[in-house]
Amino acid sequence: MSAGHAVTVDPAQHSGKALGRLTGIGAVLGVIGLGASLALAGGTKQFYFSWLVAYMYFLSIALGALFFVLVHTVTRAAWGVTLRRVVENVMATLPVFALLFVPIWLGRHEIYEWMHAEAAAHNPIIQGKAAFLNEGFWFTRAIFYFVAWSVLATWFSTQSQKQDETGEERISARLRGAAPIGIVLFALTTTFATIDWMMSLEPMWYSTMIGVYFFSGAVVAILSFTLLLVHFAYAQGALRGVVTVEHLQDVAKLLFGFTIFWAYIAFSQYFLIWYANIPEETIYYMKRQVGSWQSAGMMLALGHFLVPFFFLMPRAVKRQSALLIVMAIWQLLMHFLDLHWCIMPNLHPEGMKLGLTDVAAFAAVGGIFLAALGWVSSRRALVPLRDPRLPESLSFENV
Amino acid sequence: MPGFLPPFFPEGEHFGLLAEYDSPGALFHACEKVRDAGYSKWDAHSPFPIHGIEKAMGIGRSRLPYVTLVCGLTGVIGGMALQLWANGIAYPMIISGKPFFNWQPYVPITFECGILLAALSTVFGMFAFNKLPMHFHPLFGVERFEKVTDDGFFISVEAWDPKFDAAATERLLASTGATNVQLVPRRGATS
Amino acid sequence: MMEVADNVSHEPVAGRAPLVLGRPTFHSITEAVARPAESATPIMWWLLLLPSLGMLSILGVSVGWLVWEGIGVWGLNQPVGWAFDITNFVFWIGIGHAGTLISAVLFLFRQKWRTSINRAAEAMTIFAVMCALLFPGIHIGRPWLAYWMAPLPNQMGTWPGFRSPLLWDFFAVSTYGTVSALFWYVGLIPDLATMRDRAKTQARRIAYGIFALGWRGSARNWQHYEMAYLILAGLATPLVLSVHSIVSMDFAVAQLPGWHTTIFPPYFVAGAIFSGFAMVVTLMVITRKALGLEHIVTLLHFDRMARIMLTTGSIVGYAYSMEFFIAWFSQNPYEQFTFINRAFGPYWWAYWTMITCNVLSPQVFWFKKARSSMVVHFIVSIFINIGMWFERFVIIVTSLHRDFLPSSWGMFYPTMWDFGLLIGSFGLFFTMFLLFIRFLPVIAAAEVKSVLPAADPHHDAHHADDLAHEVTRVSPHLAPKGAH
Repeated sequence: MSAGHAVTVDPAQHSGKALGRLTGIGAVLGVIGLGASLALAGGTKQFYFSWLVAYMYFLSIALGALFFVLVHTVTRAAWGVTLRRVVENVMATLPVFALLFVPIWLGRHEIYEWMHAEAAAHNPIIQGKAAFLNEGFWFTRAIFYFVAWSVLATWFSTQSQKQDETGEERISARLRGAAPIGIVLFALTTTFATIDWMMSLEPMWYSTMIGVYFFSGAVVAILSFTLLLVHFAYAQGALRGVVTVEHLQDVAKLLFGFTIFWAYIAFSQYFLIWYANIPEETIYYMKRQVGSWQSAGMMLALGHFLVPFFFLMPRAVKRQSALLIVMAIWQLLMHFLDLHWCIMPNLHPEGMKLGLTDVAAFAAVGGIFLAALGWVSSRRALVPLRDPRLPESLSFENV
Repeated sequence: MPGFLPPFFPEGEHFGLLAEYDSPGALFHACEKVRDAGYSKWDAHSPFPIHGIEKAMGIGRSRLPYVTLVCGLTGVIGGMALQLWANGIAYPMIISGKPFFNWQPYVPITFECGILLAALSTVFGMFAFNKLPMHFHPLFGVERFEKVTDDGFFISVEAWDPKFDAAATERLLASTGATNVQLVPRRGATS
Repeated sequence: MMEVADNVSHEPVAGRAPLVLGRPTFHSITEAVARPAESATPIMWWLLLLPSLGMLSILGVSVGWLVWEGIGVWGLNQPVGWAFDITNFVFWIGIGHAGTLISAVLFLFRQKWRTSINRAAEAMTIFAVMCALLFPGIHIGRPWLAYWMAPLPNQMGTWPGFRSPLLWDFFAVSTYGTVSALFWYVGLIPDLATMRDRAKTQARRIAYGIFALGWRGSARNWQHYEMAYLILAGLATPLVLSVHSIVSMDFAVAQLPGWHTTIFPPYFVAGAIFSGFAMVVTLMVITRKALGLEHIVTLLHFDRMARIMLTTGSIVGYAYSMEFFIAWFSQNPYEQFTFINRAFGPYWWAYWTMITCNVLSPQVFWFKKARSSMVVHFIVSIFINIGMWFERFVIIVTSLHRDFLPSSWGMFYPTMWDFGLLIGSFGLFFTMFLLFIRFLPVIAAAEVKSVLPAADPHHDAHHADDLAHEVTRVSPHLAPKGAH
C-alpha cells in the first residue's frame, strides 16, 4: 500500500448534506411513531416496554459507534478513515438519548418492579440490593451515563471536525491520547446502563456477562448500520470512490467476526447457566422457553449466528453491495429480535406478542434518532477531509 | 507426492531457463511480460511472497478454502455424532440429571473437532497443492539459485512449455531486465 | 541501554514508523537471523541451559516420585482437591495463548510489527502447551490410564464422558497443541530453506533440508502457502478463544461460588493473552540482547506489546470488578462470603499479590518512558506472570477451601513436591526455549523481509532513500552508530 496517492476528496461532493435527507425522513417517522404509539397504548405498560426495547436498540447502535470510533482512534488504524466520519455522526447522536430516555423515566414504575415499595417490602433480597437499586441512585447513574456519553461523543466529533478546517496533526495525537480513557468510561457506563435498564427488569437475576452481551450485539448493530448508511450516501451521490469495496469488505469481515463473538458470548452465558442448573439463574432462560419465546430463541441462534456465519464467509460476498445490504438489514432485524427476546418476556410471559405498539415505538425512537443523525451529519463533511491518514485510507486495498 | 523420488518431469535435455533479478519490482514487471508473452509452464521465485504477483503472473486464487470448509464441516458433524452416539446410545449414563440426548455440553468438543480437521486438511492440502515435499527439484542444481531464500529473485521457464524456445525465450527474459539468464540442466543435484 | 536509532519517540501521524532500524536489506535480515544458529554456542547459552536442565531434572524426579507414590505426596485434601496442579495447568495454557494471538489475530488485523516476534512467540506457545499438558496427565492419579480419555472402542464397551469439562479440555488442548505446532512449522518452512541454503556442512544441509521440504520460493507455492497461512490464522483465532474458554469452564460450569460466573470465558481469554504477552516480553528482552537483534525487535514492538498488556490487564480488572459487584448484587451469602474471604481470609496475601501485580503494575505502561524501558518491561512482565499465577491459585484454592458448609472447610498447604513440579515445569519450558534459539531462526525472516518497504514491487529506489533519511530525521538527537 504505497502512500502519496494524489487523490483529492471534493468537499462539495462528499458533504454531509447527503445524509441530511435523513432529518426529514426521521422527523416524519418520529412524529407518526410517537403519535401512533401514544394513541395505541399511551400510558400502559405495553407502551413503556415497547419504548424501552426501541430505546435500547438505537442506543446500542449509537454506543457501538462510540466504541468503533474510540478503537479506530486508539489503534491508529488507517483503513477506516474514509468511513470514520459516518460512524462519528452516529456517535454524535448520543446526547439525544437523554431526551429519548424521558418516557422510560416517566414509566419507570411500570417497567421496574423493584421500584415499588411493596415488591421490596416482602423480599429481603431486593431489600439487600437497595443500596444500589434505589430510584435516586438509579437516576443519578443515568445522568452520569448521559453526561459521560455526551461529553465523549461531542468532544471526539468536534475535534475531528476541527481537523477538517485546520488539518493539525496535533488533533490526531490528542484524540489518540484521550481514546483509552474513553474506552474505560465506555466499558463501565455501558455495563452499568445495561444492568440498570435491562438486567434490573428481573431484579432477582444476575449475570456478570450481561454488559459484554449487550456490547457484542451493539457492535454487530453498528457495523450493519454503517453498511446501510454508506449505501444510502452512495444513493445520494456521495462517498463513491472514497469508501470503496475494499473498505466495505473490511467492515464485512468485522461483521463476520463480531457475529461469531456475539454467538460466543450468548452461548457462554446460556451454557454456564444451563449446566450448573441453579434455579436462581435458570429462571431467566426458563421464562424464555415458554410458548413462542422458545421458537424466538431458536430463531435467534439460527438467524443471528448460523445464517450470517455461512453467508458472510466467502470473500466474494463481502465485496458485493447488494448482498451486504441484505445481510445488514437481516442482522439489524435479528438484533431487534435479540433485544425483544431479552426484555419482553417480562411483559408477555406467555409468548412473544409483537404488535403495532412495538412498531410504532420503534418508529418513534428510530425516527428521532435518524433526524438527529441527519442534523449532525449535514453540519460537516462526510469524510474527514484533512485527516493525516486519509491518503492511506483512500488507496487502501485488500490482498 | 513423495519428494524423495525425483520429480516426474517430461523428457528433455534441459529443465528450462532461469533468469535472475535484483528487486521485487523488477521481478514483478518481468512476470507481467512473461505472462503477456503467453507462457504457462513457468514460475517466479522469491524469498518472501510478493504482493500482487498472482495477478502479474495470471494465476487465480488458491482453492484451498474449499478443502478446509468441507473437512471442517465433516469434523463438526462427526464430532457431534460421535458424542450423541457414545453418550446417548452406546452407553447412556445419568450425569447430574442431564438428558441422554442434548446438544449443549457437546458443543465444545464438536467445535474442536471441526477446527482440528479443518486445520489438518489445510496444512496437508497445501502440501498437496504445492506438491511438497519435493527435495530434488532441478533448480537446486544451480548454485546461484541458493540466493532465492536470501535476497534473490528469479523466473524459471520450463522447457516443455509449448512456447519454449531456448534462444527466443532467453532473449525475452534478457529483455525483461534480468541480471543473468542461464540454462538449467535436467537432473537436480541432491544436497 | 542506548539504542542505535529509535522508531518510537516520534512516531509519524501519517505513514508508519520503520519496523526494522538501520538501513536493512533483505540480506542483512537473513544474516542477523541466521547467524545465531550458525555460530558457535555462546557461553551465556550454557550458563542459562545448566540451571534449566537442573530444574528439568527436578521435574523428572517430582513426576517420577508422584507416579510411584500417588497424589498424596501433594498437599491436596478434602475440600481442596485441586491446587498447584490445575493452577499450573491453566497458567501454562494461558501463556501459550499469546503466541497464537500474535501469529493469528495480529495477522488478521494486519499488524505488520508482529513479524519480529511471532516465531519466538509461537515456539513459546508450543513449549507452554507441553508444560501445560503435563499436569492433567499426572494429576489423574493413574496416569497410565490417561488413554481412557480418548474415544477408543474397548472391551468394556465404555466411552469417555463427553459432558465433562475435563474431557473438553483433553480435546481442546490437544487440538490447540496440534494446530499451534502446525502453524509454527508451516511458518518455519521458508526459513528452514534459508538455513538449508546457507548450511556449510552436509549434516546441517540435510537436517534443515529434510524439514524444509524442498521449498524453493516458488510464487505458485507462495500462493497456496499464503492461503493456508490465512486460513490457519482464521482457524486459530476462534481456537484460542475456545481453548481458554473451555479451560474456564472447568470452573464455571460448577456450582461453586467464585467459580460459577458467566463472565469467565472472555475473562480467562483476556487473562491468558495478558500473561502470555508478559512471558513473550520477558523472553524477548533477554533474547534480543543476547542474539543482537535489537534492530529487528525494536522499541516500537515493546510499545505495542505494552499497550496490549495494558488493554488485556484492564479487561481482567473489569472482570474482577464485575465479579465483585455482582457477588454483592446477587445477595447470595455464599457468593458474598467468597469474595470477602478472598480479600481478608487466610489467603489474603495471595489475593493482594494478585491485585498488585495484575491491576497495579501494568498501569506504569500508561507512561511512554515506561513503555520504552527494557528494565521496566522485564520487571513488570515478571510481576504480571506472578500475578496471573496467583490469580489462578486464588480462584481455585480460596473457592474450594471454604464453600457452602463451614464444617467442610479446610486449608491447603503445598508440599515440596508441589513446588518441585512448578519449578520443574519452568525447567522444561526454558530448556526447550534455549534449544529453540540455539538451532532455529528465532525471527520469521521471510515475513520481516515482506514487511520492509523495499518488498513492495511498486516501491522505487528513490523512495527508499527518503525512508532511510526519515529514520534519522525523526530522531535527530540519536545519531545512528555506524552503518549496517
